[in-house]
Amino acid sequence: MSLMALALRNVARNRRRSVLTGGVVVFGFAAIALSGGFMSQSFDGLRDGTIRNGTGHLQFADPAFFSGSEDAALEHGLSGSDRAAANLKKDSEVDEVLPRIDFVGLVTNGSRSVPFLGTGLDPAPEARTMDTARLLVSGRWLLDANERGVVLGSGLARALNVKAGDTITLLATTPEGVLNAVDATVTGLADIPIKELDERYLATTLGLASDLLVSSGRVSKLVVVLREPADAAAALPRLLASLNRGGIEVAGKTWEELAVFYRQVRMLYIGIFGFMGLVLVVVVLLAAANTMMMAATERTREIGTLRALGTRPSAIRRMFIAEGLILAVLGCLGGALVSLAIRAALNHAGLTLPPPPGVSHGEPLHVNLYVTAYAAGALAMSATLVVASWFPARRASRMPIVDALAHV
Amino acid sequence: METILDGRGLARTYWLGATPVKALAGVDITIRRGEFLVLQGPSGSGKTTLINLLGLLDRPDGGTLDLDGVPVATLDENARADLRRDRFGFVFQSFNLVAVLTASENVEYPMMLKGVSRDTRRLRAAELLSRVGLSEKAEVRPDLLSGGQRQRVAIARALANEPEVILADEPTANLDTQTAYDVLDLMSLINEERRVAFVLSSHDPRVVLRAQRVLTLRDGRIAESPSLR
Repeated sequence: MSLMALALRNVARNRRRSVLTGGVVVFGFAAIALSGGFMSQSFDGLRDGTIRNGTGHLQFADPAFFSGSEDAALEHGLSGSDRAAANLKKDSEVDEVLPRIDFVGLVTNGSRSVPFLGTGLDPAPEARTMDTARLLVSGRWLLDANERGVVLGSGLARALNVKAGDTITLLATTPEGVLNAVDATVTGLADIPIKELDERYLATTLGLASDLLVSSGRVSKLVVVLREPADAAAALPRLLASLNRGGIEVAGKTWEELAVFYRQVRMLYIGIFGFMGLVLVVVVLLAAANTMMMAATERTREIGTLRALGTRPSAIRRMFIAEGLILAVLGCLGGALVSLAIRAALNHAGLTLPPPPGVSHGEPLHVNLYVTAYAAGALAMSATLVVASWFPARRASRMPIVDALAHV
Repeated sequence: METILDGRGLARTYWLGATPVKALAGVDITIRRGEFLVLQGPSGSGKTTLINLLGLLDRPDGGTLDLDGVPVATLDENARADLRRDRFGFVFQSFNLVAVLTASENVEYPMMLKGVSRDTRRLRAAELLSRVGLSEKAEVRPDLLSGGQRQRVAIARALANEPEVILADEPTANLDTQTAYDVLDLMSLINEERRVAFVLSSHDPRVVLRAQRVLTLRDGRIAESPSLR
């Protein structure tokens, strides 16, 4: 028999109350574990969406390009991008290197002109590694790097009143400041999930973009797609070092540095779930504190006896805190089992979630087994029960012995 | 006889709201090794207060209390807890056994506080329960014991750490006549066998008859001079 054994028996003394408190801990733990798993799945979906919607894992460009101060397309373009792409492809973790030309201009159907945000790209590897080709709602994706075709956002197509197969004219300013125009055929229309982008989106081949900008052999940037599981932050310095060794001076950024929207959504989610977690902790704290306070009050006389027999006040405090921790551990174990059961049920229910912000399609509901959330739940519940036990424990240990012994 | 506890001018005042109630008003008392002392007096005379002060359960407002010549009234709480554990045993009117512990575990508890090994505790608890005639009830919890059995477990618990003084506040008040006699017999025997001083508070004449010395309290003062039987 020890103080811990005594604490354990005290927990078992009033089973109904302990079960109720443990139930609150189970609920709190399960809510944290499951919402953490859901949040983890949302972040994974958002991350994949960000990477596969065009950002890639890494981007390399002229250092001035990332400052965002280009006055004209390809003003800070990369020459010799083929050499850089070949260098990057040597790395075993690189799955694909996608050259891109970013440009802006006007697109006209002969009677109406609308500004666009254009991207010149290599269609085949883009279709293999990015989701853009899957957003097509009519027509087809671009065939090869020199096809004189474009894919338009549905909103842009509506504004121009064009459909797949129609001919349009693109106008843009070359890096030298000369206005140039080329004709192109609309090969397909894509639904871009962000409305503002849908009304400006235009994808074409590198060949047509080079013709329009009169700058053969130059690209705005190289987008790198890594093999999964990808660690972009670790790959960036390694690839930059390799490029530098090859005499290619470029700057690089990870997708997370480039994806401002992802970071904002992530912060929003963390804020929402953090607030929910805080509310849960307060609910558990109040429920547990009430239980512990009742336990301390009911046992006032017994506490007086234990102190009379020579138990130090600190040992009384330890005993109450041990009772709180026992309830926390039992509650967390129960919470983990409940979480795993609910997770299995949800994951097998065949539910589909609406797409997260900026992602085109909803994902099947799959609550991740997010170990960090389980650990955070256990930590939060244990800390909460310790705090809930501390005040009654302090009160019990400080009460004059004769008052405690006289308690009825 | 050798003095263990020596109280001089012990005073204790309680407050009922804004009204002071003088429970003890300057009591001189000496507890000697192995004696059987009974504090008697009407309700409210200060018996329980004096027991509480002698057992270091409470602190006096005035006066001094020495244990083996060392002042103990002003010691910090941990030191007083250690002294209660090592030097005193307590028997309460309502037995005050720990409900979730068996009879044996209740007896072991003070030894556990003292750091006595588990095996030694078990052996000693068995010996003490045997001494109070409750060997067969060692694994029974208090709620399944009669009042007399509970009080005997409490006596065994009081003896656990081989104290020099056992303080008993109205130990027979909740017992029927025969059981009260049995408990008093047991206390007397242990007093003789082990040379443990017993200080009992009671207004029960049966208890007073067992005393070697009787102190009568009235209105917080010693009303009659101590007399040795």
